[in-house]
Amino acid sequence: MHARFAIRFLAAASVVTFAVLFGAATNASAQDVTLEVWSHEADEPAKVAFRELAARNLEKSHPGIKVKITWYEKNPLFAALKTALPAGKGPDVFYLEPDQVEYISAGYIIPLDDLVNWNNIEPWARKIWTHNGKTYAIPQEAYTVELYYNKDALKKLGVDLPANAQFTQAQFLDLVKKARAAGMTPVAQGVGDRPYPGAYITVEALLRKLGPDDYQKLFTGKLSFADPRVVEVLKWVKELVDAGAYPKNFMTVKLGESHYYFYSKPGALTLPMGSFYTGRAFVPEEKGGQPQNFPLGIMQFPAMDRGACNECKTSTIGASFAINAASKQKQLAAEFLNAMSTPAMGKMWIETVYLQTGIKADVKNFTGPHAAYFTELMDRQKGEKYFIGQPRDMVTGECKEAFAQVLNSGFPGGLLSVDQAVQMMNKACYKG
Amino acid sequence: MSISDWLSGLAGRNPALAEIDARRASLGILVVFLAPALLVYAGFTIYPVLRTFYNAFHAIKPHGVVEFVGLSNFTALLLTDSIFWKAVTNTAIFTIVATIVDVVGGLLLALSLFARAPLAPLLRVVWFTPVLMSYVVVGIIWVWIYDYDWGLANAVLHWLGLGAFEQSWLGHPSTALWSVLVAHEWKWLGFNMIVFLAALHALPAEVLGAAELDHCGWFAKLVYIIVPMLRTTIVNLLVLSFIGKMMVFDLIWVMTSGGPLWSTETVSTYVYKRAFEWNTFDLGYPSAIAVLWFIIILVFIAIMTRLLRQRDRLEF
Repeated sequence: MHARFAIRFLAAASVVTFAVLFGAATNASAQDVTLEVWSHEADEPAKVAFRELAARNLEKSHPGIKVKITWYEKNPLFAALKTALPAGKGPDVFYLEPDQVEYISAGYIIPLDDLVNWNNIEPWARKIWTHNGKTYAIPQEAYTVELYYNKDALKKLGVDLPANAQFTQAQFLDLVKKARAAGMTPVAQGVGDRPYPGAYITVEALLRKLGPDDYQKLFTGKLSFADPRVVEVLKWVKELVDAGAYPKNFMTVKLGESHYYFYSKPGALTLPMGSFYTGRAFVPEEKGGQPQNFPLGIMQFPAMDRGACNECKTSTIGASFAINAASKQKQLAAEFLNAMSTPAMGKMWIETVYLQTGIKADVKNFTGPHAAYFTELMDRQKGEKYFIGQPRDMVTGECKEAFAQVLNSGFPGGLLSVDQAVQMMNKACYKG
Repeated sequence: MSISDWLSGLAGRNPALAEIDARRASLGILVVFLAPALLVYAGFTIYPVLRTFYNAFHAIKPHGVVEFVGLSNFTALLLTDSIFWKAVTNTAIFTIVATIVDVVGGLLLALSLFARAPLAPLLRVVWFTPVLMSYVVVGIIWVWIYDYDWGLANAVLHWLGLGAFEQSWLGHPSTALWSVLVAHEWKWLGFNMIVFLAALHALPAEVLGAAELDHCGWFAKLVYIIVPMLRTTIVNLLVLSFIGKMMVFDLIWVMTSGGPLWSTETVSTYVYKRAFEWNTFDLGYPSAIAVLWFIIILVFIAIMTRLLRQRDRLEF
């Protein structure tokens, strides 16, 4: 009898304790408002500092509010989001990139047109996130795709950069051969953890050869990869590959490692990369950054023979932030987006991250240890016509997978002939 | 008197304490104690499985719209999806080879320790240590080992004067899957070795001694005495190994993510890609792959256990 009473008492006590604890937790969350933010780029200290500062600024201007940023790497972040959002959970604000349109079509992020102060955002950057007349994310990071090179290495090969900083396709092929003959890796690149960097040279060549309209048609399934101009570009890239342009460990080198490969060990002549290069390179050398005296230069991607737009260049938006449709604090979430997007924060972004931004920022004179870099980066933008967006923003599903496996890795990795690459890309992408 | 004797004695005299005995507890008491575990099991195992089956016959559309599509996910998968078939082929190769190597290799290592090979205690530690590492760590280590420029594999070949064989082990479709397989075996052989070693030590010494008295050679002893007596262990390890290999994901994901050119794509990595990397929230198609694969594994396990079932029980 006593034992039965004891067991029932314990069970009842457990239920009561659980209820009290649960009630207390609910009560606590009602008093302290916490804004949850999930962000990628945990390994880029300047960006971490930037977003944490915005969080602290919001906390100062809104007493009683706490902003909690959880830092992720890209793939785990998106895996977490894809399970949390369909369950009606997830953070109030999260990191997103423009190719992830499925979040819009699924209704997991809300239009920000009436929530955010768009006066502080560049209209061209806003356009990237505008779908059917509504804007879905704040474009924070903007970048251009650049061809970085080692000035000393180029000099060592006895080659001068043309006045317009752009080699012809034949000159570039010759440069690759010269570098390889001198025991130098011509192009530091790796596809170990990203589905796009291996395609940089190919897609930039396609953009210049085809011009913006046909380039867009190619990656939206309206132009065949068997088009003679496309085949011509692929043949040129194949010549580069066969000349030993890429490292032998191309398949396994990761994005961050390709930076280190370029400026430290073993060193390379060029590195095709988004101008977000600075996020990893401009950190102290002991933390894996570029050596202080590294002779960094920027050249244009090669001009294609009979190219429709050799002055074209890819510019796009990277890191962006959206608001979860299930958030109960949408107004506060928008306040956080505004806190990250003031002109002062835009200036800070440029001066500390050394990267373009979608935030309007008035920075005329660059100062600091990397001022020369930023001046050269701006010089390389003069007279350029921008194509806004990258192939990975335009392709989805099977075509996206084919892009990652064929144009990003298999073809530049020397595993495919031009015909095979054309056939595989057409099978996955061409809707004609 | 032991405590258990004392308690059972007490329970016999005290009817209240007798109710502590689970066999005599009322349904209410049983529910209270079983409910937490059952709820966790239902929430984290039963529901996801049922939901996956449900999703496999539906298209999950935006805004929570779920549309019944019958068998169309399965027909698309079986008739038009070339990547799926590549993944099936790779998984089959990986499963068959790795399962055989796991069991045969584990048995050979265990036999060498059982026979007290030189440095046996040290070798036991060395062979078993990789089992304690996570696949992620193992994957990272082996990516370094296989690196073309600074990896150990090519450095050793170079040092041996076999520079002509240096290559990008994970970068070529003809070597990538086999390279991952080697990494897997490095990690997993030690586990089978320990299980076999325990089984070998449990064998009756008199049977082995009698064989020696009859001048039975080591090979005959292995084939006609040891292996038959280890049959249950071998079957269990075969089944466990088969299940593990059919679901291989983490090592492949860390080392190659299914590349190059889908040459290491497995069914599990393909399910992940379709679920999380194809710009869609539609879990219908990936669920169909998972369901189909679940059924295939189930069928194979049933066949294996039936074929390998021991009809005459050995007594020793």
